[in-house]
Amino acid sequence: MEDLEDLYENAPCGYLSLGADGVIVKVNNTLCNWLSVESYDLLGKRFHDLLSVPGKIFHETHFAPLLRMQGYFNEVALDLVSSTGEYIPVLANALERRSEDGNLLFTRVTLFQATGRRKYERELVDARRAAEKAKQDLQALNEGLARRVSEGLVERIRLQRGLLAEQEVARLREQFVAILGHDLRNPLASIVGGLNILSKEPQTEKAKRVLSLMSSSTERMFSLINDMLDFARLKSGAGIDVEISRTDLKPTLEQVAEEFRSSHPNRVFAIDFRLTGPVDCDPARIAQLVSNLVGNALAHGSDDKPVEIFACILGGELTIAVRNHGVPIPKEIQDRLFQPFFRAGVSSGNQGLGLGLYIASEIARSHRGCLKVRSDHEATKFTFTMPASSATPA
Amino acid sequence: MSVIKKNNVNVRGDGDRAMVFAHGFGCDQNMWRFVAPAFEQDFKVVLFDHVGCGKSDLAAYDPERYFQLSGYADDVVEMCRELKITNGVFVGHSVSAMIGALAVVQAPDLFSDLVLIGPSPRYIDDGDYVGGFSEAQIEELLDFLDDNHMGWSAAMGPVIMGNPERPELSAELVDSFCRADPEIARAFARVTFTSDNRDDLPRVTARTLVIQCKEDVIAQQRVGEYVRDRLPRGELVVIDATGHCPNLSAPDKVTEVIKEFV
Repeated sequence: MEDLEDLYENAPCGYLSLGADGVIVKVNNTLCNWLSVESYDLLGKRFHDLLSVPGKIFHETHFAPLLRMQGYFNEVALDLVSSTGEYIPVLANALERRSEDGNLLFTRVTLFQATGRRKYERELVDARRAAEKAKQDLQALNEGLARRVSEGLVERIRLQRGLLAEQEVARLREQFVAILGHDLRNPLASIVGGLNILSKEPQTEKAKRVLSLMSSSTERMFSLINDMLDFARLKSGAGIDVEISRTDLKPTLEQVAEEFRSSHPNRVFAIDFRLTGPVDCDPARIAQLVSNLVGNALAHGSDDKPVEIFACILGGELTIAVRNHGVPIPKEIQDRLFQPFFRAGVSSGNQGLGLGLYIASEIARSHRGCLKVRSDHEATKFTFTMPASSATPA
Repeated sequence: MSVIKKNNVNVRGDGDRAMVFAHGFGCDQNMWRFVAPAFEQDFKVVLFDHVGCGKSDLAAYDPERYFQLSGYADDVVEMCRELKITNGVFVGHSVSAMIGALAVVQAPDLFSDLVLIGPSPRYIDDGDYVGGFSEAQIEELLDFLDDNHMGWSAAMGPVIMGNPERPELSAELVDSFCRADPEIARAFARVTFTSDNRDDLPRVTARTLVIQCKEDVIAQQRVGEYVRDRLPRGELVVIDATGHCPNLSAPDKVTEVIKEFV
């Protein structure tokens, strides 16, 4: 048989009864044990006297009013403070007992220890905060991502526009090449033909001189147009077009030298060709390369010193070198010599467009060779080397 | 936005003169349920919830505006302007006592009479001044809130459940009275318990009645006396009631002294 008095005193929860004036009138043994007090220590006190300061404030501002308004409160989390100052987390339920006419008689409070539950709730709150923080971080990440995507899009549009502009440039370049190749060269060819016809007619001394000047001018113009054509092709990414064939280069080089001798009768040319075998190359392009180098040497070298042209095949490699004397090329501009439109010093009538060395180096490249310069007080020397046989590994 | 919706304003009664009831920290206009009806015959009774409490518009809560009590006072002034109130009576409980004082300093024409129930211009002791709490105790309270170790499951409910798409889960845990958004309640506690409005008291020109409970752990009697002493036209009535909410624990006595005052 259950002893109701013992059930009250030693129940597995704390019991507390408050009078109508809020004063503690009865308390059970369990609660006294929790708080390490005797029951008479609690009688006459108020419920909030048992609470921590935050609990006290919240009891007064929240739970006491709630109790008055709805007649009860349930599952209120509070901290009791024992006589030794220890905090005891509890859940409290309270119920008002009223008389038939509605007057408050007393209030019953039941307290359950809730250390584990309160800890769990706090962990839940912490977890929720962590989740909220993670959500915010994710949101920030997403925003950053969206921003980067839109930036990427802008960049792509920009590039596309650039590409369109590039395509437009390529179209214009093709037009330009067509104009150079046909519209300019064809009438020039007519002039050359006319000059040839006239040169066979009887001429006055003055006419001879003028015809000779006109002839060299048209040749020069051809050469400029060819350079421009090559440059336009190179810029379009097509590269120099070469037609490789097994060639004995000696006659080719001798013809180049002979042309310079006749066009520059006042200059001395020292020729040394030691070509022991054939070379896999485009002879017209090699002639162009050498011609550009010699033209360069004539333009920049000393008038009173010979221009030396040397060619040999050694160890499976073709070497052609053009050497002149005169003011050395400063070190700092040697690297830029092979860039298009590079022109040393003040322009003079003898200078071309500054494409000669650029095209020469591109010709070298299209033959798997290279073009280098060395310049000092003694001499300036451009050296072109390439494998003599196309079967030779590069 | 209309102040009526923002502050969940309810106007009742037949009188010409307005009587505005302002709830304190921890509750909403429900706390006047035993007092306000007694004035509906003679006054235009105005009830409202501070923003963040009860059925106010939570979306209107602006942490910057409500960082100080003056933000709440601005709301009172705006509300009364919209209701065209002049020479009314303001009844403020707890922190709303100071909110009313600030409102009437700002707009003296609104209220000719103030009733302050359990007022405290400062809760933290300061030199000779006894507010009732040490700074450390208030810090403990605020830490308690900041750590979200809320002292009441009613507020913990929605925080823990965190289930906005199924509000019925939270609703069971949240009491129908005195609801508060826990984040806002925390901010409101901070502004309430760290405020210091002692120097605003001498600027209150309206007639003022301080209603003090005999035993109030939140606002002790000496604080009530201090308020009376610093008010130019203040008087103090100590009623035989315990706790911080005599409007609930002793509504008849509160009604009686207010009626006598006005």
